[in-house]
Amino acid sequence: MKDLMFFDANCQVGDFIDPRPGVTGLLAEMDHYGVDKALVRHSGIAKAPLSTNKELAEMLQKEDPEQRLTGVWCILPHSCDEIPEPDEFFRQMKENRIGAITLSPFEHRYQPRPIVIGKMMDAAAERKVPVLLDAFAGQWDKLYDFLERFPKNTFIYAENWGKWGSDRNIRPLLETYENFHFEIARYWVPEGIKGLADKYGADRILYGSCFPKGEQGCGMLQLKHSGLDDESIAKIAGKNLERILKGAQL
Amino acid sequence: MSECIWNQPGSLAETFWKNGKADFPIYDMHGHMGAHYAIYFKICEAPEMVQHVKRIGVKRLVFSHHEALWGSVRNAQVCEICKQFPDTLRMYLGIIPQRQDFIKEDIAQFDKWAPYAVGLKFLPGYHGADVGDSRYEYALSFANERGLPILIHTWGEDPSLLKTIQKYPNAKFFIAHCCYGAWDYAIRCVKESHDNAWLELTAIPGDRGIIEKLVDGVGSEKILYGTDMPWFDEYQGVGGVLAAKITDEDKLNILSRNPERILGKDF
Repeated sequence: MKDLMFFDANCQVGDFIDPRPGVTGLLAEMDHYGVDKALVRHSGIAKAPLSTNKELAEMLQKEDPEQRLTGVWCILPHSCDEIPEPDEFFRQMKENRIGAITLSPFEHRYQPRPIVIGKMMDAAAERKVPVLLDAFAGQWDKLYDFLERFPKNTFIYAENWGKWGSDRNIRPLLETYENFHFEIARYWVPEGIKGLADKYGADRILYGSCFPKGEQGCGMLQLKHSGLDDESIAKIAGKNLERILKGAQL
Repeated sequence: MSECIWNQPGSLAETFWKNGKADFPIYDMHGHMGAHYAIYFKICEAPEMVQHVKRIGVKRLVFSHHEALWGSVRNAQVCEICKQFPDTLRMYLGIIPQRQDFIKEDIAQFDKWAPYAVGLKFLPGYHGADVGDSRYEYALSFANERGLPILIHTWGEDPSLLKTIQKYPNAKFFIAHCCYGAWDYAIRCVKESHDNAWLELTAIPGDRGIIEKLVDGVGSEKILYGTDMPWFDEYQGVGGVLAAKITDEDKLNILSRNPERILGKDF
């Protein structure tokens, strides 16, 4: 078991409207299933991006002394000066063990275009800071438009929408954008993981669970017995996400 | 970390993790076959599907062909597919309420299709009906007379479901997807039945905490395993059952014992 390191790319923590597990609850769940590390975002991002950025950093500091979790912060348009300039924002991310950014333009009511968020997105592309696309899950037309506008960024499509295979929408993105990564929390297509890895390479696929809506165990067994070779399984389980996060120049 | 479920000596989870299968038969009670307009499948025809399900130790995959549910393939043709894989495939007759002619023709051949035909499949929402629709009466009466299973697609609460379960006490109702989201109603449908209703899990393994709620509500003896194959991967589905916080006895009931109790060991 321990020869395989799992790094969950799709977890949310923190109470917001509905009571949800915090960092301690997530870590207990990770122990139960044998997940080593996780990339986490706050469940309240959509309604409170700035305060939840701060709260997530505090939760990580207080409740995760072994530093198994890496946080995700939400960005906002730069014109309103609601978040610092990119250099300062990234400095704060590093200081608070935040490794990736996300955005929620539909809830936060702005246009996800270069003149609105280009300064931050360009800086993220240059520094290879990964961008989670959880807010775009299932909104294919918006996702396609967004990637056309920001083709150079490193992306992680984090599924939190349906559980029915989305190959017809995902495969063109894997074909077109070399830094686009697909997280498989709700990708349950029989023999599908192997199919994607054979065609696009195991480097493009990431294990995730969609915690707390999803549980972490089923995807582990699905990947373990996907029919892929051990090296590909290890990459998808955790090495790919580790590589992406280490590659970010914060 | 060393105590994670996959490392617990002698547990079902450990066995599947290490070996990819266990020494008991799994029954997948909710399958399909063939292409579907709304999705790309990596595999969807009988040879590849049988290969996939056998890898994890599925003894029987009971399915209704997608196209038999739209009417472009007839149940007789599906029976011929089953005959090519007699050790694995069993079928539900696809019932299309709009096609009373098909229903009567196919039910008349039910005995001829033994041992492959084991029950009926209703897809009410997709067919623009609810399960109380009078166009289902002929099939319901047949299942009730024979004590046959009917796998009924459910999603959310259909008030006519419980009434129908109660009206046909000898038919065996497999509630596909457990009235997804309307968990308390699904539990009621079992508890207020004449012991003739079971919850079928397709689309639920992987949703955190739901299997636990259903087991708590009706007991693992009233829950069946299914995947919608070729929609959902067997390792994902079994993985979701193994990952649920229930006992190994519960997991065995769901994956293996309950279909044998209902249909016998050799169906």
